[in-house]
Amino acid sequence: MPISRRLLLAGGAGIALTGCGSNTGRGGEEGPGRPRLSHWYHQYGEPGTRQAVGRYAAAYKDAAVRIEWRPGNYDQQTAAALLTDSGPDVFEVAGPTVEQIQAGQVTDLTGLLKDVKGEFDPVILAPRTYRDRVWGIPQLVDTQLLYYRRSMLDAAGVRPPQSLDELVDAARRLTRKDVKGLFLGNSGGAGALGGTPLYAAGLSLVTPGGQVGFDDPAAARTLGKLRRFHTDGSLLLGAPTDWFNPASFTQGLAAMQWCGLWALPQVKKALGDDFGVLPFPPDGPAGRPSVPVGAWAAAVSSRSAHREAAEAYVKWLWVERTDYQQDFAQSYGLHIPARASLAARADRLKSGAAAEAVRFTKEHGYARPLLWTEASQTAYLDALSRITREGADPGSELKAVVRKASAELHRVRSRG
Amino acid sequence: MPAAPRRLPAARQRHRALWFWAFVGPFAAGLALFTYVPLAWSVYLSFFDAHNTVSPTEFVRLDNYATLLADASFRSSLVTFAVFSAFIVPATYALSLGLALAVNRLRAGRAFFRSVFFLPTACSYVVAATVWKLSVFNGVRFGLANTVLGWFGAEPVAWLAATDPPWYWLVIVTVRLWLQAGFYMVLFLAGLQRIPPRLYEAAALDGARPGWQTFRHITFPALRSTSVAVVLLLIINAFQAFDEFYNLLSDQRGYPPYARPPLVHLYYLALGQGQDLGLGSAGAVLLALIIAVVTVVQARWSGLGRRED
Amino acid sequence: MDDALVRTGRALRLMLLTALAVLFLIPFYLLVRGGLASEEEITAPGWTLFPTSPHWSNVRELFTDPDVPMARALLNSSLIAVATTLGTLLLASLAGYGLARIPYRHADAVFYAILGTLLVPAAVTFVPSFVLVSSLGWVSSLRGLIVPTLFSAFACFVFRQYFLGFPRELEDAAQVDGLGYWRTYWRVVVPNSRPVFAAVGTIVFIGAWNAFLWPLVIGQGRDSWTVQVALSTFTTAQTVQIHELFVAAAVSILPLLLVFLLLQRYIVAGVERSGIDD
Repeated sequence: MPISRRLLLAGGAGIALTGCGSNTGRGGEEGPGRPRLSHWYHQYGEPGTRQAVGRYAAAYKDAAVRIEWRPGNYDQQTAAALLTDSGPDVFEVAGPTVEQIQAGQVTDLTGLLKDVKGEFDPVILAPRTYRDRVWGIPQLVDTQLLYYRRSMLDAAGVRPPQSLDELVDAARRLTRKDVKGLFLGNSGGAGALGGTPLYAAGLSLVTPGGQVGFDDPAAARTLGKLRRFHTDGSLLLGAPTDWFNPASFTQGLAAMQWCGLWALPQVKKALGDDFGVLPFPPDGPAGRPSVPVGAWAAAVSSRSAHREAAEAYVKWLWVERTDYQQDFAQSYGLHIPARASLAARADRLKSGAAAEAVRFTKEHGYARPLLWTEASQTAYLDALSRITREGADPGSELKAVVRKASAELHRVRSRG
Repeated sequence: MPAAPRRLPAARQRHRALWFWAFVGPFAAGLALFTYVPLAWSVYLSFFDAHNTVSPTEFVRLDNYATLLADASFRSSLVTFAVFSAFIVPATYALSLGLALAVNRLRAGRAFFRSVFFLPTACSYVVAATVWKLSVFNGVRFGLANTVLGWFGAEPVAWLAATDPPWYWLVIVTVRLWLQAGFYMVLFLAGLQRIPPRLYEAAALDGARPGWQTFRHITFPALRSTSVAVVLLLIINAFQAFDEFYNLLSDQRGYPPYARPPLVHLYYLALGQGQDLGLGSAGAVLLALIIAVVTVVQARWSGLGRRED
Repeated sequence: MDDALVRTGRALRLMLLTALAVLFLIPFYLLVRGGLASEEEITAPGWTLFPTSPHWSNVRELFTDPDVPMARALLNSSLIAVATTLGTLLLASLAGYGLARIPYRHADAVFYAILGTLLVPAAVTFVPSFVLVSSLGWVSSLRGLIVPTLFSAFACFVFRQYFLGFPRELEDAAQVDGLGYWRTYWRVVVPNSRPVFAAVGTIVFIGAWNAFLWPLVIGQGRDSWTVQVALSTFTTAQTVQIHELFVAAAVSILPLLLVFLLLQRYIVAGVERSGIDD
């Protein structure tokens, strides 16, 4: 055996003559008192974003910050990296998830928000708050909306839909040979909409008390109506780009599209004033318009060798440097700043469709609850897809989801 | 083995063992470290509640296995696999054998045709899936398939999103056939080259007509060992099917509830945000066991890997 | 009469093969067409057979894209694929030879232990593998990208099957000359086995070139991106530019196609003699 081990090491060393660029920068010191931090971002599509975050990092004096710009499946990469010492010090995350918090993978950032907590929109702060502690600092707010083409609606004699029934009807009447009425993404709506129709029915995914929020006949009724889009043939499916990209709408493949505020500059450039935005319309007596909001947040890894330095850097960038926060939210794609004082000063959000979107967000915004786990989401999306695409019975499908989600809620609530 | 020389048999054996490990050792050690250690680790994790951790503390016995076997979507992923392989294994087999037979009998242009059918082997699933999804089978008017349909006046079909009829199988199956048929064709070509010409001469003397009869009685039996190897590789590959499914059907928010083979199901369980490593590992163990049973049965039945001497 | 029948059959077969060949080439055509078209041409309702004025600028755009270091990625992929191929060939052929030719009591057990790993789906042991490599301190190093992938049970299996069928007379002659296993292997066996090395090498090279998940997670920093990782940036971005994606995809397979066309003669010969199927 000693022979073989030596051979193995010799073979390994012979091949690995050179390292590949620099290492992760973990644990290193650069000059006295200047720790090296690695900061991960997912790949933003808007040109210039990468250069911008590099600029911010370079301006920080108390640590040498290295930006990691990660393409591909970002959640999976961070989840794997957080299990090791080679992960990030600071990373942006759509969560953090309740499992990440409970497993102690991220640090408590409550102290960073001491004086400004009230400034953050509670809708996006709540999913990052667990047992009254804050685990991620929201960087910006992303709002999802329904875009519609004014000229096409006028030509078909359809008014902008104010209820789910009107939306179903409008989508059907707007469908032509080469133009479909509505684009809800290539998976036919399940992925893009998620819990949005439930909120439009006056329900929720999780109640404030931590119970399943849609154990109600109204849920089956509303989700059942989404089936109509498919039976009417009014959905665009199999487009080259998905719902988060406005190309299908701007190329005239669909008269209406579910997309995000981030796409508004592109839509405006392509269509001028020939479009409008709406929230997802309400359904049923308890219904209300529904506007999903998401946020990327900055979190600090518990395995960071420089936790304090990492937290200080996050505080500097995402709490103190309001100029950078404004630039980040406004200069590349269009997003709403996470803080009220900045949102109020954002010129690009003051007029037209953007101003409407901000108003919808303020009045009807909802975010995916912290306790709504990935396993619950998968069960729910599977059911939603089967109901809408395959015509499965909404009642029995939802019953199975309620069972799964209750078990998941029980699991995460009963954890230390 | 021939009778060992009487003098110093033990020393001779030690000498050989030493050389054996000198040759095999480096490879075996690497395989042990980079395959068996993670595998053992997965087996260990499968008995624990391991959310977002690889050093779990909460021992749950066989709960993960019970959960998985009770999970309708895991069971349906096994059915998906069964349906998929019941089609893809014979289809790939037939196509690659057919190509090999046809190419082999060409007098001119053999190298050209062989290259053409073999070239797709060089493509990655990412590239192939991109072309299939965006160019051939996109659901709008400017996709190739829909353009062709349009010439006949048919409506565009949303190939990957249509569940009734399930057109997505056409997309998935064609991409795999395109990528793999050439490789197996080469295996068959090699097998055909090795059939001694005198077999055919003898058959001709016995009055066998060229064509089907010759194929049935001479060529096909002579290709038996190649066939066994090809079928084995096809089954293992079908079990590990992941890339084309994932690249064709997943989107940012997940994966549709249909056409979800076991590996895709486990991917969503164990990787990404919902990192339930215990459950995912239990699934891996179950899957490996199933593959092992299937291949051992197939190998026993066909006698693969038997030493000739 | 019979002669005419044979001739018709031959013509039919040739036509069928030609039709299939066209089908097999269509994806390559689409790749080139998409890569050289403008975005408007791709999404236009009528089918244009080929862009009227090919946008060669797409290629230049790709290599000057400030967000995607494509040239660097090509270099990284070449380096990794070559190193992986050479390393795998060395390790797997030695092991295959030992298993086939050196009598040892536990040889069969070792062989089945190696073969058994073919059954384990790598995707699901991914996280433990990653944690292991990370605990070796190999994340973000060339070592981490290459070494864990060097131990291919498939390659070892092919080599063993091939060496089982290697003519013993050659080796016996060498041993009469007083050469031990080691020198016999290098002086007699390897020089007479080039086709099988070419065949296995090509398969390993393709696998290494096309690997995605491992380089994505192990490599950190844009400087260590491989071609596949660079390619993925075009599909995950919120703004998908189809022509850019296609030109990148075409560039990513070009090196492989060249390797293939050059080596395919050896590949066929190698498979033929490898006894992969015995």
